[in-house]
Amino acid sequence: MIATATAEAVTLLTSRLGAGLLVARELEPDLLWVSVNPADVRTATATMKELGTRFLVTVGIDERPLGGGYGIVHLFAMDDAHQFVAIDCPVSAGDPRIDSITPLIPGAAWAEQEFHDMIGVEPVGHPDPRRLVLPDDWPKGVHPLRRDVAYNYRPPSVEGAAPELKSPPKGTSVVPIGPFFPVLEEPARFRLFVEGETVVGCDYRGFYNHRGIEKLGDSVLTWDRIPFLAERICGICGFIHSTCYCQAAEKAAGIVVPRRAAYIRTIMLELERIHSHLLWLGIAGHIIGFDTVLMQTWRIREPVMWLTEEISGNRKTYGMNMVGGVRRDISDAQLPRIRDVLATVEREAIAVRKAITDDSTLHARTKGVGPLSTEWAREICVVGPPARASNVPIDARLDHPYAAYDDLPPHLCLADGCDTWSRVIVRLDELADSIRLVREAIDNLPTGPVLAEFDEIPAGRIGVSAVEAPRGEAIHFVMTGGVNRPYRWRVRAPTFPNLQAIPAMIRGQSIADVPITIGSIDPCFSCTERMETVDCRDGRVRVYSLKELQALTQSASTGDGGYDL
Amino acid sequence: MSATILKVAALAILNVALVLLLSPLYEGLLRKLKATLHSRMGPPVFQPFLDTLKLLGKEDLLTVQHPAYAVAPAAALASVLLLATIIPIGGAPPLAFAGDVIGVVYVASMSAVLLILTAFASGSPYAAVGGSREMMSLLSVEPVVAVTLVVGAMKAGTLSVAGIADWNAAHGPTISMTLAGVALFLAVQAQAGKLPFDIPEADQEVMGGPLVEQSGPRLALFRWTMWARQLVFSLLLVELFFPWPRTGVLAADAPLALLKALVVLVLVAVVDVVNPRLKVEQAMGYYLRVALSSLAAMAFAVVGM
Repeated sequence: MIATATAEAVTLLTSRLGAGLLVARELEPDLLWVSVNPADVRTATATMKELGTRFLVTVGIDERPLGGGYGIVHLFAMDDAHQFVAIDCPVSAGDPRIDSITPLIPGAAWAEQEFHDMIGVEPVGHPDPRRLVLPDDWPKGVHPLRRDVAYNYRPPSVEGAAPELKSPPKGTSVVPIGPFFPVLEEPARFRLFVEGETVVGCDYRGFYNHRGIEKLGDSVLTWDRIPFLAERICGICGFIHSTCYCQAAEKAAGIVVPRRAAYIRTIMLELERIHSHLLWLGIAGHIIGFDTVLMQTWRIREPVMWLTEEISGNRKTYGMNMVGGVRRDISDAQLPRIRDVLATVEREAIAVRKAITDDSTLHARTKGVGPLSTEWAREICVVGPPARASNVPIDARLDHPYAAYDDLPPHLCLADGCDTWSRVIVRLDELADSIRLVREAIDNLPTGPVLAEFDEIPAGRIGVSAVEAPRGEAIHFVMTGGVNRPYRWRVRAPTFPNLQAIPAMIRGQSIADVPITIGSIDPCFSCTERMETVDCRDGRVRVYSLKELQALTQSASTGDGGYDL
Repeated sequence: MSATILKVAALAILNVALVLLLSPLYEGLLRKLKATLHSRMGPPVFQPFLDTLKLLGKEDLLTVQHPAYAVAPAAALASVLLLATIIPIGGAPPLAFAGDVIGVVYVASMSAVLLILTAFASGSPYAAVGGSREMMSLLSVEPVVAVTLVVGAMKAGTLSVAGIADWNAAHGPTISMTLAGVALFLAVQAQAGKLPFDIPEADQEVMGGPLVEQSGPRLALFRWTMWARQLVFSLLLVELFFPWPRTGVLAADAPLALLKALVVLVLVAVVDVVNPRLKVEQAMGYYLRVALSSLAAMAFAVVGM
């Protein structure tokens, strides 16, 4: 099956591209690497579209130190065949331009704007060539993910820098949502163009919280440190990102994770889904003014947080993942306690489900709200519950099995309402299914070690990993380097594609529906944008200086190689 | 003569004082109730008083320099207090000579109109959206209030508020008055700005709507206006449509009326807890149906039931 699909793809690409296809090889059992002439990128993309593949993300790599130019790698997934396909376009360093594929795949818009900002390769023919990621006062011509830009480069700030804004259509007025808005927990700026209360269009500016995590990973940290940074990409699905990074690194290095570790990862991933979906239900309730749902779901959620604290030592940000497995085992003594918590959560979740589905006012506020058609969901490459609520049958746990999901297949929770109500239902179904999965995982927990040993990871290997986060599919791409760290580490959080669907979802809706529509994709801007600490006891905010942070990092480091602060 | 004036003045002051002092306390009790239903501890019952005191002590920030804008919050509160003097609280309305049910309808909408004007004047897009929502909800709720009061006037054969209350107390429950009472009860939900009808303020959508530019003493006065308004409306409801039992002694009837008003507000708060917010057009549709049903009450009144 796998071989057939890959072979078919290669045959079709060869016939379409002819000499434009430079190399096609199977890098890993689930990764087909196709190098094409950059001039043929649109033909290659059209062929991939014809093959029914799904665009994931683009990775821009500065390969000049390796003797090349810039690598622009468009990643695709063949979900039915459980394959990833990378279309690699080696762009020359002298003329950093490549045809934009956004006219073919609308969902590639941000990915292309991002490599334009970060690597400095211009997507020619992109419908929206504005800045996406870089701050407004960032100097022109400095592209932070190029290897010759230091990770701690700080440009002087410029007064009065402003983003290029779309001008509102005639006869409309602008209602700003953000940069700070009560129900969006993180900064993002939507300028709604409204006629009366009806939204006719919008303009988005975000990435206010870009933290340079990818750059840190491939220029400062080491293989074993990155999981802890990856976990901090998101405050809710942190374990997802550390798992996804570790899996990509493991695939690149050919490390086989012990079975028990795979099960423990599955347990933690599903516990994360349980508490994340309960959190989302509460926030969704709050957005439409239903605070009772917020208070009750968060009360139900709390025992799950206590449970993860018992297992890992932390409510969140468990710090358990390592390349090669996990560094904390689950003892047999903890299993009955996990079963107890699951039973309580299940009982209360059923009650909440009934309360939600029986509430007619809630139906009135969510049915038909934030519509996203199946076709457009596919075009914009939406992932996770918003995709499944629009009847797009994708779930990384089934399509690209990882951890212990080959033994424990989840149910594919689909709905066809294409609206906010369907997104509620999909998440309620997944909540129940996650409880079942954790239960089955602890019933079948294998014995054995939880961490695989490995030697030096060779340079130039590539690993692509997908993990189904509560918000949708996260993708991590790792290209190994020779100095105990990745040469390139690319993170694509699920909100990255999903947020691009928002303009279509709010067009024609009323202002009252905008917050719940944005909320319905369960947005996580910090993930998408990839330090400040708050003391929980007295709420005081302490901002660390760079020196203090360096001192902290150094005291935590074990002094091994590859550290070049 | 002067003794009568003194008595009227004393009763008016009593009504105003009761509304002014009890409305924050009621709000505190309702918050506590809401918290209990949320499985929360909730703020202390006296928190609304503390909030008000604190806000009153803050700097008065005027985003618009105009005398009318400056006095709007005080005028809004004053209009509700005026309303309190032309409705009965246990006894006859102290300023009954100054207003019948028509006057009640006018004075009752004054505070909302002032809020709308303040919203449009304050220049924030959120306030503008909130103001237009407030206007739409006022336009859809006001007919319900008017129809129910007309039913009362038809039954009692008088436009006097005291006359309607006295007639209802003397004649006992009738179908038309009960129906009208239920319709007015449904209107109180919106008049009190409670879910599912807190659409104009909608924190999560328009960040407090008309109030977004209001802070300090202005915010305190507008909030106090809303607390007083929900109390006055529930008093109007229980005194006109559910006045039984009545002893004729102010010291007994006033506490009873206040207790019944609290029951009304508790019901309003429970509805608030179990509902998400509707959209303004959904709310308008709802009140259109309520207004049409209240016409049924009028039909019953016409045939004398």
